[in-house]
Amino acid sequence: MAERTGPGYVSRALNAAWIRPFLFLIFIVVAWDLTIRLFRIPPYQIPAPGDVVVVLWQDWPELARQAWPTTYATLCGFLLSALFGIPLAMLIAGSKTVESYVYPLLVFSQSVPKVAIAPLFVVWFGFGIIPKVISAFLLGFFPVVVSAVQGFKSVDPDMVDLARAMQGNRFQVFCAVNLPHAMPAIFSGLKVSVTLAVVGAVVGEFVGSNSGIGYVLQRSIGTFDLPTMFAALVILALLGVVLFWVVDRIERLVIPWHVSQRQDVIFAA
Amino acid sequence: MVRSMTALAAALIWTALAAAPARAADKVVLMLNWYVYGEHAPFYYGKAKGLYAAENIDLEIQEGRGSAATTQAVTAKTADFGYVDIPTMMRAAVKGAPVIATGVLLQTSPMSAMGFVDKNIRQPADIKGKTVAITPADSMTQIWPLFLKKTGLKESDFTTVAGDGQTKLNAVINGQADLLLGYVMDQSMKIKDATGKDVYPIKFADYGINMVSSGIIANSDYARANADLVKRFMAATTKAVEAAEKDPKGAAQSILDVNPKGGKIDTLTQGFELTIPLYRTPETRDKRPFQVTDQNMTDTVNLMVEYGGLDAKAKDNPKAFYSNDYLPK
Repeated sequence: MAERTGPGYVSRALNAAWIRPFLFLIFIVVAWDLTIRLFRIPPYQIPAPGDVVVVLWQDWPELARQAWPTTYATLCGFLLSALFGIPLAMLIAGSKTVESYVYPLLVFSQSVPKVAIAPLFVVWFGFGIIPKVISAFLLGFFPVVVSAVQGFKSVDPDMVDLARAMQGNRFQVFCAVNLPHAMPAIFSGLKVSVTLAVVGAVVGEFVGSNSGIGYVLQRSIGTFDLPTMFAALVILALLGVVLFWVVDRIERLVIPWHVSQRQDVIFAA
Repeated sequence: MVRSMTALAAALIWTALAAAPARAADKVVLMLNWYVYGEHAPFYYGKAKGLYAAENIDLEIQEGRGSAATTQAVTAKTADFGYVDIPTMMRAAVKGAPVIATGVLLQTSPMSAMGFVDKNIRQPADIKGKTVAITPADSMTQIWPLFLKKTGLKESDFTTVAGDGQTKLNAVINGQADLLLGYVMDQSMKIKDATGKDVYPIKFADYGINMVSSGIIANSDYARANADLVKRFMAATTKAVEAAEKDPKGAAQSILDVNPKGGKIDTLTQGFELTIPLYRTPETRDKRPFQVTDQNMTDTVNLMVEYGGLDAKAKDNPKAFYSNDYLPK
């Protein structure tokens, strides 16, 4: 009779996906605290992790309230990046003419520092949420386009020919062959883009806003409140992690068949 | 024989002395509080006129990114001296940062709420119903609540928009805001450069806000270890300020000689001329620059503790924040 001899509960718990980064994070925090104690680093240069945790614990409602405008601007900017980036990539991948005109300019624009032109957005669009959304959009746009172009270009031409030979029209061929083949690359671009969109939203807030985590950062720098500043940075990092994970889950749903989504399956003998 | 030997020896010694290199000048970095504007003219003038070289100092002037950032640079010794808003420095010092003011130059505050002259906002009461542009947690915004209290205004009387330094300027220039909080000689001149129109500042000092503003700071450990250098630096800077006071246009020109994009000669000169009256209070009218009175500093600390959010323990020893010992007589 075959018996189930697999790893025990503890081993399975330790192997859970989220435990390992969490343990590593704890290790980093301990190392941070030890470094401060060993080198006697003063609190106005680097705050002790304990102080940062205290701020996170005590100011949790205020930080959560301020995190919402930043999240909203990030999501809007990210969705716009996806909405405009993927169709543009289709055009670039599909037409050598479009590619030769548009792609070099796109790369050129990427090198323009967004933090320098962000004040202009406030001049043109006022002090509301729009400059932040534009800032997030501009930062997240390029990775989506580059990855999507790569994805669309790497579709196997034999598969396309086969589908055409079976009398599929261009649209049917696109939906059945081109788009699914490009999806893995598109999602890779989307994952990078969502973390950059967070940066874009904060840049927008630095430049012109009185709400959001960027505002909290600016305020705490001016008052030498380093624990709050680090707490705000932690919140931003968490925001990036959560959004990345969400995109990853959506990827799992959309392209479960892809080789990168395979999970190890162990069959007991 | 002896005489010719003596003459030869004297000649050799004289040649050796003439050929020996002078003692190398001390390299010193002064970091300003912001990008250059009229208030900074004395430093550039002093360097151009060789006043620092005369004290054996090779001065490098760096533009800063806000008094808070410059204070941190001085704390970390990446800059030897800083030119910052002293109340901002006090915030860092009270948290344990080893910084001390070696000379307080602006003994009256340059902070103001300014808008275009044609908007006719002359009195605090005129601010009601208007839009004010601020930068969160900068030196003026931290004192703004005190100004409101002294003039009987409430936050609900007007609208506030927040942004960084450039956004504040753009907001007033483009009409998105009626006023911005700034120094009388800085943003007003920049707006004039951009639009050609004059700006009227409502000065905080006119409404009972008596506090010091910009001054020279140094890391206190650095100052103790290099007391002679600090004294020479303050002596040279005092002479530079006195010389610049007598020649405002020349002082402004010295900025442009080093940094041609630093502004326009007329507005830089006007900005510097607006700064000169702030150097002294009635008590120090006849004194050399930087010689701030203990009373002025104590008043500043008390104001900062009561309204500026400075830790109350600062009141225990206001003298810990500054020292006039490095100043020339």
